[in-house]
Amino acid sequence: MTASGLGVGYATGGGERLEVAGEVDLILRAGRTTALVGESGCGKSITAAALGGLLPRGMNRDRGEIRWAGGGARGPGKGLAYVFQDPGECLDPVFTIGNQIRESLPKEDRGRARERMVDLLRTVGFDDPERVLASYPHQLSGGMQQRAMLAMALAGRPRVLVADEPTTALDVTVQAKILRLLADLQRKADLAVLLITHNLAVVAEIADEIHVMYAGRIVESGPVEFLKNPRHPYVQGLLKALPRLDGAARLEGIEGSVPPLGRRPPGCRFHPRCALARAVCAEQMPTWTACGPGHRVACWACAEGGWA
Amino acid sequence: MSDPLLTVEGLRVVYRVPGRRTVEAVRGISFDVRRGRCLGVVGESGSGKSSLARAVLGLEERVDGRIVFDGENVLRMSRTEMQAFRRRAQMVFQDPMGSLNPRLKAGAALAEVRRVHGLAKTRREAAAQAADWLGTVGLDAAYANRFPHELSGGQRQRVNLARALCVGAEFLIADEPVSALDVSVQAQILNLLKSLQETRGITWMLIGHDLAVMRQMADEVLVMKEGQVVERGPVDNVLSHPTHPYTKELLSAAPGVRRALDRRAAERAV
Repeated sequence: MTASGLGVGYATGGGERLEVAGEVDLILRAGRTTALVGESGCGKSITAAALGGLLPRGMNRDRGEIRWAGGGARGPGKGLAYVFQDPGECLDPVFTIGNQIRESLPKEDRGRARERMVDLLRTVGFDDPERVLASYPHQLSGGMQQRAMLAMALAGRPRVLVADEPTTALDVTVQAKILRLLADLQRKADLAVLLITHNLAVVAEIADEIHVMYAGRIVESGPVEFLKNPRHPYVQGLLKALPRLDGAARLEGIEGSVPPLGRRPPGCRFHPRCALARAVCAEQMPTWTACGPGHRVACWACAEGGWA
Repeated sequence: MSDPLLTVEGLRVVYRVPGRRTVEAVRGISFDVRRGRCLGVVGESGSGKSSLARAVLGLEERVDGRIVFDGENVLRMSRTEMQAFRRRAQMVFQDPMGSLNPRLKAGAALAEVRRVHGLAKTRREAAAQAADWLGTVGLDAAYANRFPHELSGGQRQRVNLARALCVGAEFLIADEPVSALDVSVQAQILNLLKSLQETRGITWMLIGHDLAVMRQMADEVLVMKEGQVVERGPVDNVLSHPTHPYTKELLSAAPGVRRALDRRAAERAV
């Protein structure tokens, strides 16, 4: 699946278009995990929602296009499946897990639903699928609920799985298990996984390619290894702000905070918080600079003739 | 070595679950926190760490054991002693929005607690002092006129801290104080907490699940599991030489960017 120049607009009361996310280029390949990383309000979840036509009321995908290998446009349930952050909220408390997975099975699987459901639950790591099928969501732990959500997402045999903060609500030890499971499923089912998260450590754990977003735009893209040596001042700052087990005495935060929608600055959107910013940064949105195989950055300081 | 500000002995917290027997959330824990130091309490959800925090501040009902704060038993305090204790020992919560009154501007929120504790006689006097207190947490006086919804998450957490400090808090319990914040803002708040400890001699307990945050902030650490302490000691020791299997499990699951990348590179090389 390829998305190019994707943009999501929000129509204000005055008929104005506010850009929530823009110029997003994504290539999702079978058997690969692509991560969209950023802080709250950067537009990562909205971008993910736009791929499947799940945008909230008032927002529209009004720029760019989405193409599938093999042609044709598809929506959610047709090639694209989602898993969200809080499994407790996504599952219906009054139906059993079996009931809920059955609903997501495609027509051709309805005849042998039970067999298929048991299969799915085994795939996501349950040893006792029969018991899980008969369970209500509250009888399962958070990690088990997220496994059940994964089984449900896989029921429709998607080609792309969008996982939006799939482990954020879970304890660290459970988090690690779910991440291993995701990596495993992606390999076995030859899925393209789009991982949406704010957590760089999660990204480093399972992503192949990553795109870092800030205030609605991608600022740096490339193979995950670039996190060892990022170019964009924002990405460098994020990594320095992370507490580490072998950490230094003091953290370096990034001054200020992410600008809310409608108060995003002109030019490079990071320039008010950037130590490297010069006049050009406040005037023009930076263009892409290639800095390695598949690795590119949108920053004037890193551009040719730049000062970083 | 400084003397303890807080000593806890054999603490138990019990909840009565309707229709079921009782549940013991904290099962006999003893520790102390020395003046001017930070004690970290690590554990996963359900380990009892938040119950422990609430019990120490006298916010739980069915509590057994001894909690001694600056020489006085918290569980045996009179009303007036309790009021003084509530002023000196305060909680900072995870959700900075949920812990502020949405109808009070930041300045008014500070003024209110100062009046309640009898530290300012009139509304006007209290308001004048509020701006100073915002300064101590790195907020400009102009923020006194902002409502919580007009502040960012990090700014709200600063207001919460100012509200605790402005009535003379000496002891803070911060329960996951940065979990709801963006990474770039988390560092600002953690640094602020550290500098309050250094410059104002604040003693505190940091409750959380993130070992890397503990490494950065805590002097000593307790690792909790199922209501009990399974490992304790100076944070450097515990993290570099964990002895309990649970601590080891937490450490190996702890996320780290460089560690993950190195591990994957090694796996590919095999």
